[in-house]
This record gives sequence, structure tokens and C-alpha cells, in this order.
Amino acid sequence: MKRLLAVLLIAVPQAVAAQTFSQRGFVEGKGWFYPRDAPNDPVNVVGDLLAREDVFIKPASWIQFAAGADVRANSHDQVDRTWHVDFFDRGRLRPAFTVRRLSATISRGALTLDAGKQFIRWGKTDIVTPTDWFAPRDFLNVIDNEFLPVTGVRGVVRFGENTAEAVWVPRLTPSRVPLPNDRWTVPPSAGLNIVENPAVFPEGGQAGVRFSHIGARAEFSLAYFDGYNHLPNFRIVPPPSLQTVTIVPDYPTLRSYGGDAAIPLPWFTAKAESAYFTTDTPRTDEYVLYVIQLERQIGEWSLMGGYAGEYVTKQVTEVAFAPNRGLTRAIVGRASYTIDINRSMTFETAVRQNGDGTYVKGEYSQASFRHWRTTVNAALIRGEPDDFIGQYRLNSYVGLALRYSF
Amino acid sequence: MNRRRVFLFTIGVIALVCSARAVLSAADDPRQIVGESQKRTNATSQRYEGLLQVFDARGKIVDKQWTFERLGAHGQSKSVLRFTAPAEVKGVALLVYNHPDRASDQWMWTPAIERDRRIALQDRSTRFFGTDFSFEDLEERDVDQYDYVLQGEEAVDGAPCWKIESTPKKTKSSQYSRSIVWIRKDNYAFARVESYIKSNLVRRLNYSKIENVSGFWTGRVMEMSDLTRGSRTRLTLDKLQYNVPLKEEDFTLQAIRRQ
Repeated sequence: MKRLLAVLLIAVPQAVAAQTFSQRGFVEGKGWFYPRDAPNDPVNVVGDLLAREDVFIKPASWIQFAAGADVRANSHDQVDRTWHVDFFDRGRLRPAFTVRRLSATISRGALTLDAGKQFIRWGKTDIVTPTDWFAPRDFLNVIDNEFLPVTGVRGVVRFGENTAEAVWVPRLTPSRVPLPNDRWTVPPSAGLNIVENPAVFPEGGQAGVRFSHIGARAEFSLAYFDGYNHLPNFRIVPPPSLQTVTIVPDYPTLRSYGGDAAIPLPWFTAKAESAYFTTDTPRTDEYVLYVIQLERQIGEWSLMGGYAGEYVTKQVTEVAFAPNRGLTRAIVGRASYTIDINRSMTFETAVRQNGDGTYVKGEYSQASFRHWRTTVNAALIRGEPDDFIGQYRLNSYVGLALRYSF
Repeated sequence: MNRRRVFLFTIGVIALVCSARAVLSAADDPRQIVGESQKRTNATSQRYEGLLQVFDARGKIVDKQWTFERLGAHGQSKSVLRFTAPAEVKGVALLVYNHPDRASDQWMWTPAIERDRRIALQDRSTRFFGTDFSFEDLEERDVDQYDYVLQGEEAVDGAPCWKIESTPKKTKSSQYSRSIVWIRKDNYAFARVESYIKSNLVRRLNYSKIENVSGFWTGRVMEMSDLTRGSRTRLTLDKLQYNVPLKEEDFTLQAIRRQ
């Protein structure tokens, strides 16, 4: 990685002189108001400030460099206040300053090679994406999460209507799970204190290959992944006491086989995605996740609805944070409406088939004065305490975001 | 000698009559007129920077800018449209593969979620990014995908035009039941297109500032009116170039992910 940084630092200034340069960035202030108290978190109002800048430099038609950084502050101790530049996104807290993107893209003929810190998204479905193995997320707010980049190499070869893709990520980037003393971590019983010991990250890397076909009548992909799950199991460190439970996040191995397809039909587009998750880590579940969804645009409405399912082949996990599984056995849906060129509304829902958990998110967004966007959102969460969604029933919220893009 | 003169005169008259008939039949044949119009725009590539101005029913204006690159012959070209302003949509890109025998394939890249999405056929009637252009309006109209009827002649902005009704063939999936196109008689450039759904006129596209750029007559300003909403979008082509060197590999899904 140091070598890559050195190459970029030497190459980028030379490149700036004669190339195409583009940038985009924003400063955003966000606030959440939680009307109900949580037993382990008395805070009802959380504020967050984020400044993001991405730059792209193309010194020649065959090569491009990308760099990006985030600077953050937070009113609820979700941001690490020690001053350092974070590259690998492995901290429990969000870093105050992090390299969001630092990569080189080489494109020669049918070959495209991306090396460095980048975003890699696989899969076609929304809300639940079983084959999106290289896309860890920041789950400090579980249902208002965002993707994290990974550091690795991605090669894509295109031949006709087909592409073959290979990805190698030498170090695991874990998903950032909710903080132990935050309302998005729900203690098993009131008054119980959860202490989280630092994770021991696996040494090995992750690799995946994907074959995709884009035809006139359908698109499909087949994918294989071998590495680690970016979502942890939690090992309980003995001896437990009545007041405190000490846990350690463990990242189990993961071997997965999956695929996705999109078939445009006369009235809607049918999409499906599925993956079989296996592991050789003891006390870890093996299962199949699958999603079937239909999409359709009607006038200014964009509609998506479907079912996310799970079939467990081995059930042995004791404690895990698995939102990908927690949103399955559920009907999922999203609807967005474009009011006009500046204003839009979006609704999203997941309803567990047994009725034990439901969330509904709504958002109204309005652009103004060319650079500004105001977004008001709200989430209503209902359910039973032993359900993945239902456990967050005290976390319904109203949010406000103000963004200045430049 | 006289015989030879008579023979040459006869041949000349026949040639004159034949060429006049050819001109007359071209003028009468709406498919040939549209075909000639398409032939005259047949550059190997095209590039421009577009300024989009969206006027809503109350006259409020919103500006957006994009760059457009097209590679390949008309009707089977590939194009990439990428937003450059305002800042919040910078990097959003649309990749279009036009086909002469069927509807185009379209994909949109959204950098905020780092994903591309295929625009399904039934979704092509949706407005493109809140403008008055639908996704279908961004496709190229290939001459072979429509049936034509010449409806006569009519002037647009003072320029005499052929007025031609075009109806999509069964193989062409379209939101529009038919369109009326006005093609200028002096340079075969499109002057106006009115699109109907059943008997209702829903969109009107006006071309103005028609100029010769590198031998291609092009409307530098296109104004699309959505007659059901009362809004309109003006697209102004800036830095327009034809036959610029573009690479095939820049018109792929991998390429539009690059910013």
C-alpha cells in the first residue's frame, strides 16, 4: 500500500498539468431526533457533520487516478477524536479523517484494472443484496447505513456481451457495527452492560470472481467468493456476570456461490439474486439468501417490490450481527416519486412475514439555489424484541439533513 | 452527323427526364426524405457540451450541464451522456447502445450508490432526470424503424419543410403512437417533431439555430415541451464537434463507472 501511495504521490502532480480533472464534494449537516428513550442510551438528539471531496484525474485516455477523503464530527461520540489519517476503516468509531478513495484505473482495450481503495458493488437487487460480498457498510445507524470502500485489485475483461471479473482484497474491511453503548445495540436485558473487546481481524485476504452476460433479453451473473464475512459473530468472553457481558467480534470465513439476473418483461423488470453462504469456522451458520423483486416505473413513480428469503442449512451461531439475514423472510419495497426537477419523495419498507418486525422510511428531498439540498426523513420501526427489525422499535426517528454540494 | 446529334439529344432528354423523376420521387417519398436526412447526419462520432435549462409551468429555471459523446453510424451507435453540473448530479452517466432493428439498450450509472442500472423498455417513457426529455427521446430514431406518410409541406420558422407522419413499426417499442416530423427542404435538417400518444399531442421538440458544423446541419438549440405538464427543457449544444477520435472502449459499463 505504501508503494501504491508513493506511485500516486509522484504520478498525480505530474498528471495534473495536462489531463482532464474533475471533482465533486459536499458538506452535510445531519440531525436525528429519537422521540423514545433507549435503556442503554439516554441521548435523543444526534448531530453529524460530514465534509467529502472526491477528485478524478485522467492524465491519458488509458489511465485515471481517483482520490477522496471524508472529514467528520459527531455529537454522540461516534467519531474517533484522535487525530490520524485512517486508511483501512477498521476502527470501531468513524474516523475524523479518512481516505475514502485512492485508486488507479488502467483501461487497455477490453481490460480494465482498478487498484487501490475503491467501492466494489456486485448484485442487482435492492435493500438485500446476497452477492454484494465486497461492500461492507457503516451500520452505526442500522437502517440509515452507508457503504465502505475496500482496498484491493479488481480486473475486468470484456468479450462481446460477456465480462469476466476478478477481485482480490488482501485485508478485510469489516462492516462498522453499532457501538455497545448506543441505542442501535440492544442489550438482552435492561441494566445489562455490554463491553466489547477489540476484534482480532483475520490475516487472510478475500477473493472473488464473477461472470456476467448482458443480452438483449436478459442480464445475468454467476459469482464466487472466498474470504471472510465482513459481518461479525460475537464471542462471549467468560465469566459473564449479572451486570456485564464482554463480547469479542469474530469474522468467520466465508465461501459463497451466487448469482443474479434481470429480465425485462413487458410490464415490469424481474430481478433475482441468490447466494449460498458456507464456512469452516465453528459455531457459524450456513444458509441461502435469495431475493425476487419486480420493478416498474409509472409516470413519475419508480416502484420496486419483492420478497427476500432465507433457507438455513446449518444453524449453530449464538450471537451475530447480520442485517443481511435480518431483512430476509420479509416483503421489501421501495417507491420514489419525482415531483419536479428539484423535489422528490422516497418510501422504503421491510415487513417480516411473521409480522414480528417492520420498518417504514419516508424521505422528502428538495434542491434549492443550485448548490443546496434539504432532506427531511423519518423512520417508523415496530416489532417484537426478539426480531432483528423489531428489536429497534424504540429507535423510530425524524431526521433533517442540509447539504451544500460543490 | 444529324443522326448522331438526334441520338445524343434523345439520350440527354432521357437522362434529364430520369433524373427529374428521381428527384421528384425522392421529394415524394417520405422514407427517402427521412433516409436522406439521416444520411446527412452520418458522422463517425459526435461530441458536445450541453446546457439544459428546465422551465417549469411557472417559468422557474433550473440549469443542468452534461457532456455527450457518440461513436458509430446513425442507428447503431453507442453514446455516453454524463452530467457535469450541478454538483450533486456530477458523474451521473447514461450509456445508450442504439440498434437499427430494435429499441436501444440503456444503462444509468449513479455514483452516489456506485451502481449501474439497466433502464427497462417499459421505463423509457419516464422523464430523464426531471427534464422534459424521456429516456426514449434520447435514443436515435433509425429510418427503418418507422413507416412514413407525407402529409405535405409547411414552413417552420420561415423555412419550407416536408411534413411527414412517422408511425413506429411493430418491432419498435415506443411510448408514442405516432410522430409528425418537419424536415427542412434546404438542408434536410430536422426542424420540429411532435409526438402523440393515441390522439393526444404530448411532446413537441423544436430545433433552432440550425448551423452547418463540419458539413453537418445541426440544430444547436433543441427545446422539448411537455404539453401535458406545461413545462419545457431547452438543450443548447456547445463545443459541438463531429468526427472526433473516440475509442470504442470508452462506451462500456466499465467506462461509465470512471468519473
